Amino acid sequence: MANTSREQPLPDVILIIDDEPQIRRVVRNSLVDVAKRVSEAGSAADGIDAAAAEQPALIILDLGLPDRDGLEVCRDLRSFTSVPIIVLSARHSDREKERLLDAGADDYVTKPFSTVELKARVRAQLRRAMARSSGDRHDSIVVVDGLVIDLVGRTVKRAGVEVHLTPTEWNLLRVFIAHDGQTLTHAQLFTAVWGSAAGDAQQYLRVYIGQLRRKLEVDPVRPRLIRTEPAVGYRFELGE
Amino acid sequence: MRRPLVQWVIWFSVLALVGALMLMVRGRLDKAHVALAFLLIVLGGSSAGGRALGISLAGVAFFGFDWFFLPPYSTLVINNPLDWLVLIAFLVTGIVAAQLLESQRQEAEIARQRADEIDQLATLGAETLNAPRAVDALDAIANVIRQAMGTDRCEIFMRNAGASLRLAGRSPGIPRQEDHTGLLMYTVEHAEAAAERNDGTLTLIGDAFSATRAHFPMPLPLTDLRALGIPLNVRERIVGALRLSSPQSFSLSNDQRRVLSALSYYAALGAERVRLAEAEEEAESLRRADRLKDALLATVSHDLRTPLTAIKGIAHEVLHGGDRDRALIIEEEVDRLNHLVGDLLELSQLNAGSLRMTMALNTADDVVGAALERVEAAHGTGRVQVLIANDGSILVGQFDFAHTMRTLTNLLENALKYSPPGLPVMVRAWREGDRLRFAVEDMGAGVPQADEARIFEPFFRGSGIPDGVRGTGLGLSIARQLAEAQGGRLTYTPREGGGSRFLLELLAGAPPSEPDEIDGLES
Repeated sequence: MANTSREQPLPDVILIIDDEPQIRRVVRNSLVDVAKRVSEAGSAADGIDAAAAEQPALIILDLGLPDRDGLEVCRDLRSFTSVPIIVLSARHSDREKERLLDAGADDYVTKPFSTVELKARVRAQLRRAMARSSGDRHDSIVVVDGLVIDLVGRTVKRAGVEVHLTPTEWNLLRVFIAHDGQTLTHAQLFTAVWGSAAGDAQQYLRVYIGQLRRKLEVDPVRPRLIRTEPAVGYRFELGE
Repeated sequence: MRRPLVQWVIWFSVLALVGALMLMVRGRLDKAHVALAFLLIVLGGSSAGGRALGISLAGVAFFGFDWFFLPPYSTLVINNPLDWLVLIAFLVTGIVAAQLLESQRQEAEIARQRADEIDQLATLGAETLNAPRAVDALDAIANVIRQAMGTDRCEIFMRNAGASLRLAGRSPGIPRQEDHTGLLMYTVEHAEAAAERNDGTLTLIGDAFSATRAHFPMPLPLTDLRALGIPLNVRERIVGALRLSSPQSFSLSNDQRRVLSALSYYAALGAERVRLAEAEEEAESLRRADRLKDALLATVSHDLRTPLTAIKGIAHEVLHGGDRDRALIIEEEVDRLNHLVGDLLELSQLNAGSLRMTMALNTADDVVGAALERVEAAHGTGRVQVLIANDGSILVGQFDFAHTMRTLTNLLENALKYSPPGLPVMVRAWREGDRLRFAVEDMGAGVPQADEARIFEPFFRGSGIPDGVRGTGLGLSIARQLAEAQGGRLTYTPREGGGSRFLLELLAGAPPSEPDEIDGLES
């Protein structure tokens, strides 16, 4: 799946919900070659209607809408659609980002953003959604950044040499690969790896990530696979 | 004092013994000797065993005197009428003496209780005044009250602006899970003390705690209590409430009740002190915010308007056929503005004390990596060298990730900006004792000695800054405040061999003791 992205067909509609016409224009202009059409809504109410009526492939949602709280809108959208939601936020609160991701948003971009970055995030989300809907689960063998990860045989090899992973590290890697490109909050990672059981292990999440990076990354302080979203969580990137 | 029954046995034995001894030498004794000997025993009994014992001794001695020592012997008949006088005088003297001794004793007892009460109040006063923090004083007061009342727990609640209550001080010990706030709300609502009985019923008991209560000339009995709630008043205003409770039922005597009334006034004063301290803190943070606002206005007018002017000018040129380079300048200026806005926001949050801290176990790898990602995205790769101590286990600390990342980012950006482009910048991390240390070093000109003391002040711009280097003057100030907000330190020293060295110290952490079953799956 790491190299199928280029030829994917353009989706029909991307929906942008933002009350600022200027921002809508910037988003629309930057996404002309990503979707066939960019649909616009200026309020939360219009946006939810449009999301239901036009069945967009992806929704870009501004948090500072005048009529509703962004978190609520996000939950509302999630109640009837599973398409990727990318949130635009001007507030730099990490806690808010974490709450949004937990509420079902797939990614967020902080204002002011560069259009290059926005486009990359949108592409990544579309690719993920496409893979998900076509039932194209990951191959049992994932090749990335000089690593050969065998999900069935549970082995990782770098240049033919096996890299030993502990069970926790394996579980983390499995969850990451299953959610490739998606920012996972600390809470989501806890739940995915340790279930709902509260335990001593959870406080060490960041330590286990660190150990996994030291085994997988070429340069653990300049990670390319497991990216840090400061104070929010981690994102695994198989690359374009 | 020994148990009363023992006293009775002792003193009646003494009476019998002395009677028997005197009986053996009856012929050689005068009536006066007998009367005096018996009187001594009555006095002794009264002082040791109380009034009842004294009077009983006097009564028995009266009959013994008559029976054994007044002729005709072994009858209650008395020949000489004058002997009646002796006998009656003996009885009356004995009884009066017993009474006098008793009232003396009671006065001494009251005086002792008063001394105890004064002692408790003095202790409270000392505890209240000596505690450096208002909240500690409240804990101390709660503890003294608990000891004086002999209950299991004593808690002091403060009344919030919205009339809700919050726990502000409590006696030491394990907090109990059951919640009795219902009792307290009831107490505060009615502005009267209330008792919670063992069957769960709540009863208002008036201000039985103040001496002047006309409605309850007979104070309600305070027995069989599970908890007692008392409103705390300062100048006719309810500032909070106090709760006494025990897992077993408890009772308060009238004396204890009176003491409690005095002690709870101290609790009220303590609660008021906490409130004033909080108000003072709030005022201080407002004053700080105010000072910052002034500095901010000055910055806004200059540092924000300059790039805006540039953007406006260049946008105008672009409109009339500008080129790519000009558009690039716009982007740079916008980045600069964005940076400044971010700094200003952060600084105002720091000053308002509203910054969220999420202290967690984090790795040095992770936080250095995140800072590096930001710095290298803006300044390009290749200059920063990373040296993280590696003794096999991963280097961890107990800190807030986002704030530490920000601190390191600011330090790295500074180092890159203020040292020549060709020279490297080093970031190291290692553990020293219970501290996790990060050092960011550059090989630039360093900080002029005259500026060293001031570089951490907001809006301070050094004197020897090279041309073309622009900054907000906020980076180091924010970095230090963020470090200190998580209990760390940020200091500057000149680097050996030239340049700057910033040292960030945070609390170190311990990695998991069981490093996950190593190689548990491969076999």
